[in-house]
Amino acid sequence: MFKNQTGSAFRIALLSLALSLLSFAPADAANPTPKRIISLSPSATETLFAIGAGAQVIAVDDLSNFPTNAPITQLSAFNPNVEALLNYKPDLIILNADATKALDIKTALEKLRIKVFLERAPDNLSRVYQEISALGRATGNVAGAQNVITDMKTKIKAALKSGRKARKISFFHELDNTLYSATSDTFIGKVYKDFNLANIADPAASADSAGYPQLQSEYLIKANPRIIFLADAQYGESIKTLAKRPGWNKVSAITKKNVIALPEDIPSRWGPRLADFYQFIATSIAKIA
Amino acid sequence: MIKVTDLSIRFGSREILKDINVEISDGKWTCLVGPNGAGKTTFLRALLGSQSYSGSITDDGLEVFRNHHRNVAFVPQFPQIPIGMSVSEYVALGRSKRDGWGNESKHSRNLVAEILQITGLFGMQSQYVSQLSGGEMQRALIARALVQEPTLILLDEPTSALDLHHQIAVLNNIELLKERGVTIISTMHDITLAAMYAEKIIVMYEGKVLLDGPSDQVIHSPQLQEAFENRINVFTLDSGRPVIVAKKDLKN
Amino acid sequence: MKLKGNESALSPIWNWKITALSFALLFFVAILAISFGPVPLSFQKILRTLFGLSGGLTGQERTLLIDLRLPRALLAALVGAALATSGAVYQTVFRNPLADPYLLGAAAGAGLGATIAITSAGADLYNLLPIFSFIGAILAVLVSFFISGKFFAEPNSLLLSGIAVGSFATAVQTYLQQRNSSSLRPVYSWILGELTVANWQIVTWSAIYILIALTILVTVSKQLDGLMLTDDEAYSLGINPNRLRVIAVIAATLATATAVSASGLIGFVGIVVPHLVRGITHRVTNRGLLTIALVGASFLVLADLGARTLLSPAELPIGVITAFVGAPFFLVVLRKKRLVTQ
Repeated sequence: MFKNQTGSAFRIALLSLALSLLSFAPADAANPTPKRIISLSPSATETLFAIGAGAQVIAVDDLSNFPTNAPITQLSAFNPNVEALLNYKPDLIILNADATKALDIKTALEKLRIKVFLERAPDNLSRVYQEISALGRATGNVAGAQNVITDMKTKIKAALKSGRKARKISFFHELDNTLYSATSDTFIGKVYKDFNLANIADPAASADSAGYPQLQSEYLIKANPRIIFLADAQYGESIKTLAKRPGWNKVSAITKKNVIALPEDIPSRWGPRLADFYQFIATSIAKIA
Repeated sequence: MIKVTDLSIRFGSREILKDINVEISDGKWTCLVGPNGAGKTTFLRALLGSQSYSGSITDDGLEVFRNHHRNVAFVPQFPQIPIGMSVSEYVALGRSKRDGWGNESKHSRNLVAEILQITGLFGMQSQYVSQLSGGEMQRALIARALVQEPTLILLDEPTSALDLHHQIAVLNNIELLKERGVTIISTMHDITLAAMYAEKIIVMYEGKVLLDGPSDQVIHSPQLQEAFENRINVFTLDSGRPVIVAKKDLKN
Repeated sequence: MKLKGNESALSPIWNWKITALSFALLFFVAILAISFGPVPLSFQKILRTLFGLSGGLTGQERTLLIDLRLPRALLAALVGAALATSGAVYQTVFRNPLADPYLLGAAAGAGLGATIAITSAGADLYNLLPIFSFIGAILAVLVSFFISGKFFAEPNSLLLSGIAVGSFATAVQTYLQQRNSSSLRPVYSWILGELTVANWQIVTWSAIYILIALTILVTVSKQLDGLMLTDDEAYSLGINPNRLRVIAVIAATLATATAVSASGLIGFVGIVVPHLVRGITHRVTNRGLLTIALVGASFLVLADLGARTLLSPAELPIGVITAFVGAPFFLVVLRKKRLVTQ
């Protein structure tokens, strides 16, 4: 599963590198291409390397673990330290808008004459493509960005074509073993929606305006989801542990063995590997009717 | 001269003091006696000026309520003991009114040293007030009152928590004030001690003054018996000193 | 009556040299703080820039010093002074050595205000967060006064009301956070306390409120000693205890509310610094309030220096440092004063 994604990401990188060399964008005197980029967003890091800006990146935050050759540092994505950033002598910083005091940090950096790209987490697919394009423009890799987008669109279209269900199938997306879930208002909820799956957390949407309500065991058992996606597989949850929960062993997803462990990181990143996530879902639910 | 006229104090619906009329002469020691709940402490606080009242209390002709022009020292029965404060700091607080808060004149410092010596606390000057024994604490309170150089000193049960030896020591210290012409008013449980030191005794019962007059007269009067519901015996020693004790069998 | 033996062997109640020393300490610590950081700056050039001489820092380095390090150090000093002083005042007013500036529900109120700001409209209201937490803190204290009713200046009933108000505010805050999980991280890091991006705007308005409050407190500090006694004793020594308590609590709350809205909840400063100063000087008199303010300022400036440099390039939350440093210090002082084995 992972090998496929690494492999395809590598192929994307190679392709975009080749294409970007061919479609060379001349540097703008007023807007010179940044050569010393710091990325403080794991999703942006993945995107930068995919669109061909990898060579311009001098440092990435401590959570940016993909691609593996990215220059990872101790810089924090959520608690940026202005002075520490200054020490790298960057000319562009990709700052996560969710970071603590992001706007103040942006102001401080701009006072220090460092350009800041404020990256807002996209909440749907078309915004993802917009962010990728924007990053392409900001880093002088417009063509590379376009290629990545086209590639993603193709992949996602294919995944949905083969994977989208004709009739709604109910599912439960488990964030942790206290039954926090994600409604269809969230990004990942929308991915599931694209496959025409019915999210049992949606009726509980009013409990958390950000889209992450906590469900009750009783409710889940009654809703009887046919599929369960585990975002906490990396913390030891599996069909075995779920079956042990009181009353759960009769739940349809467990009796039919439709418990799917989600890969780490990928569901929470909106970069190019999002397309891989769509493919993963398509493959996982292929046999479920 | 302190003149109390038609003094009444109510807390909500409860009448604590009812129509009190007494006169207290300067330079003498007057003692308020009576059972618990008679209103002694409230009366004392009214004389201090921190307790509102109806009627009139005048000191040298001026009403005492919130009157900060007097120099009155107050020794409470249950003082608040500041944590971490040394004895010398505590006693020196008494100079605050004279020097102005926050200031410390050389004269004050000398006076505090002197008084600490007199009350036998000089060696403990750096100890924490919270570490003093009952007797030492009382001496510290007296010392603080002494450094104030007051014209009137009010003491609420100054000996109730002390052992016999310390009771006498403290009362002797207080008597020193008489030499300086200070008016002393104290409340006391122990009538024997009151009779030993005070020139005048005021007997209180349920918020009223039953009797007020020179100690000798009051001790041997029937009103004193009345105030204590006939549960006391008054004996006179050969030296002439009266001793008042509670009756052992309380069958009535 | 004449004295026998050593006359005037009493040491003065307060040695003003100590206050002068603490001024010097603050100055020294402040210079230290602005000289260190991930980006190395020449010490000589820093001094030249500060005193307006030629040959100072230029460009990015100058901006770094003037617009980043300097306001941050100043804010740390102001917040430290505010918290230490109001902690000391609360300890006196409530006659409780464990009182801290967040009593009377100020912290919970500020937290609720901040949570409301963060959950109401996300980034748009984020700029108003300091105002919300300020109002929250003040309101909480006012409600505490109101609830304690006609004994409103009586220390113990105020304390109890404060606990009630604080619990209520915390409960509401928890409810709001549960319903808006995206607010969890911002509120949490606000609670930990941060001086991360101080700018001259924040420094200016904090300075105004905090300095007003501190001036009031230092002015009445001399009389505050009277509050350590019973009300009757205080009265006999020439003080109006109720009025004094109200003034002191209002000023201290103003200082706390401002500090909290500028920098979140930084703990330990308000409890530790007063005891530290009292322990070292062997005095509890409130004449030491100015010294406590200055030492509090120095303490937080140093703590912030640690927050910035110890785990560089990551930032340690300043509340962690004050706790790590504060707790052992506190225990040492408590033991020395034998408050533990009372």
